Amino acid sequence: MNINTNLKAENTYDAIVVGSGISGGWAAKELTEKGMRVLMLERGMNIEHIKDYESAMKAPWEFERAGKLTQEQKRTHPVQTRDYPYNEATEKWWVNDLDCPYTEDKRFDWYRGFHMGGKSLMWGRQSYRFSDHNFEDNKKDGYGNDWPIRYKDLAKWYDYVEKFAGISGQAENWPLLPDGKFLPPMDLNCVEKSVKERLEKHYNNTRILTIGRTANLTVPHKGRGSCQYRNLCSRGCPFGAYFSTQSSTLPAATATKRLTVRPYSIVNHIIYDKDTKKAKGVMVIDAETNETMEFYAKIVFVNGSTLGSTFILLNSTSEAHPNGLGNSSGHLGHNLMDHHFRCGAEGTAEGFEDKYTYGRRANGIYIPRYQNYGSDKRDYLRGFGYQGGASRGSWHKEVAELAFGQNFKETMSLPADSWSMGLGGFGEMLPYYENRVYIDHTRKDKWGQPVLAIDCEHKENEAKMREDMMNDAAEMLEASGIKNVKTYDNDCYPGMAIHEMGTARMGNDPKESVLNKWNQMHEVSNVFVTDGSCMPSIACQNPSLTFMALTARACDYAVKELKKGNI
Amino acid sequence: MNRREALKSVAFLMGSAISATTMGVLFESFSSPIDENKKLSFTATDEAILAEFAEIIIPTTASSPGAKAAGLGTFIPMIIKDCYSVEMQEVFATGLKAMQYKCVKDFNKEFLATSPAERQKLMEDLREEAIATNRVPSFFLLARDLTILGYYSSEIGCTQAREYLPVPGRYDGNADYKPGQKAWATN
Repeated sequence: MNINTNLKAENTYDAIVVGSGISGGWAAKELTEKGMRVLMLERGMNIEHIKDYESAMKAPWEFERAGKLTQEQKRTHPVQTRDYPYNEATEKWWVNDLDCPYTEDKRFDWYRGFHMGGKSLMWGRQSYRFSDHNFEDNKKDGYGNDWPIRYKDLAKWYDYVEKFAGISGQAENWPLLPDGKFLPPMDLNCVEKSVKERLEKHYNNTRILTIGRTANLTVPHKGRGSCQYRNLCSRGCPFGAYFSTQSSTLPAATATKRLTVRPYSIVNHIIYDKDTKKAKGVMVIDAETNETMEFYAKIVFVNGSTLGSTFILLNSTSEAHPNGLGNSSGHLGHNLMDHHFRCGAEGTAEGFEDKYTYGRRANGIYIPRYQNYGSDKRDYLRGFGYQGGASRGSWHKEVAELAFGQNFKETMSLPADSWSMGLGGFGEMLPYYENRVYIDHTRKDKWGQPVLAIDCEHKENEAKMREDMMNDAAEMLEASGIKNVKTYDNDCYPGMAIHEMGTARMGNDPKESVLNKWNQMHEVSNVFVTDGSCMPSIACQNPSLTFMALTARACDYAVKELKKGNI
Repeated sequence: MNRREALKSVAFLMGSAISATTMGVLFESFSSPIDENKKLSFTATDEAILAEFAEIIIPTTASSPGAKAAGLGTFIPMIIKDCYSVEMQEVFATGLKAMQYKCVKDFNKEFLATSPAERQKLMEDLREEAIATNRVPSFFLLARDLTILGYYSSEIGCTQAREYLPVPGRYDGNADYKPGQKAWATN
């Protein structure tokens, strides 16, 4: 490709941010606010806040198929249809799997959204800090490498991102789940309050139940509206009431007038300069025209989602980096993890027939990890937390099988007689070197790029933990007065939690890690990776808040180092 | 949010609520897709029959109009054509014909000419058959499930049979329930 000098100048920025999701949006905000001219590259379409949330205000009857997917949608989205998030109301957020296939050496459900804002628009919004127990577990039990940081390194950055993003929650002083800078918590409902009281008493406060800590605003915050309790977050919020790139970081970055956003820009690889031993910029494929072009910058932040980022790094080969950029450790692509879930217990709560809910709370309860802590010892490593909640739904168990007619209609138009309460475990998966991704050169995507192959599975530690995830839930529900308690395990494959992490881990030792403690590549000092790929372990908490904190911290470091002339 | 709850609420997404028996058939439509070259077509008579069928499942009552007024006569065939595999479409079409044949056999008249009592009898037979076959996917099961889905996501179902609250603005998890109070249309 010919690049004349003017074009090169035009295509040169202080920093390039690859990806516009949760961590990319944060990188763009932090870097622009620190005076950098930033180019943020997004591989998918642009999504304008509010205006492009077409389904957000639709009533149920304004959808053509009552939420159902067509056969054609199932044909073009064979992976996205494996679980619930892809439906008629949210279909624009999820990728056409035929355009961007991947190879499953073992089943791995890879849920992706290619658009401005990435998964920040569809995320579950649960926001929890990691504790020192999480940062120390790898070192203690020997799985994975030691985290190069501890809680004290990240605490002030958690404060910083929480205050900006707006996280509602209740402080609990629980050692395994540090408190944050919270907006007022959402309310527990009457059944959850009853369960909380009985459960904490039964376990003598060695287990606690709290309201979910969520990036939904309970009060107006930084010009954004508060939650209206519609429970339609997954369509995009017209009130800006949950944290997304569009509602939060993008407006801040845009306000600096130093941000350039380029949608439909697939970063194919990072261009390495063997003379400076740094990244020179990125090579981009225009997703609409297939035209290729280059952009240049002093620093590159890679925030393309865990596997998206790792694909780019693996695909950035050169004489100096034959196995992928910054991969002399051989760990790039390895140690892939995801939370395992879809098991727990549920039952019915009696005695609340005179109570109902008003409003729809897009949040549930949380029981933080208590296993393998203090005197609680298990026959597996690490642990799990629970998410769940109580509701008075409209399941009518009392209706005769396959009933119809007037009585049936009248019953179906009323709420269920009783409330139900469920607890679903979210378990930590250990880092295993052999759980990995690599590039499969035998297949190509729509843009002619090779595809990612994924070879990942849960193992014995996860299987053992699942037993407890069911049994502990049942025991706690029964201790709390819940009736008809039943356990379930709906089976779980990696990827399902959409919390995929690892594959470009941080560490102190360049021989066993890809990034240093500042999320900076050991071998290429001007490349930073601050999405889920950087994680040496995943704890059992929902991870996005940690990506935000790591990103803000890395941006601060990067700009300081740049100013010192060290990058 | 608990993802299992979310999974369950796929069917409820649009505010419909369905008996537990429904889930199997609804999820069947998530089965592996097939390249759809041939699609069924439904005649105006088919739509009239389906509207009457749906009306038996969810009739007009004092409180609200029923499934026919809610447009189920066109909703059901549209969903069958767009959202189900060829095999399931065939199950549906064959069963629809079989039901009409059964009317002629049992009552010596076309479905649309049957009396309310005859329709009641017919539906009870179909229901028993579905139970006896342990709910093998059938016309009756599909049409009944789609009636419930379609009705409780229709404007009539949401705003008249149930209560629709588009923007609650607040959450009260300890609200008093008054006997007879309708269910919220969406979860």
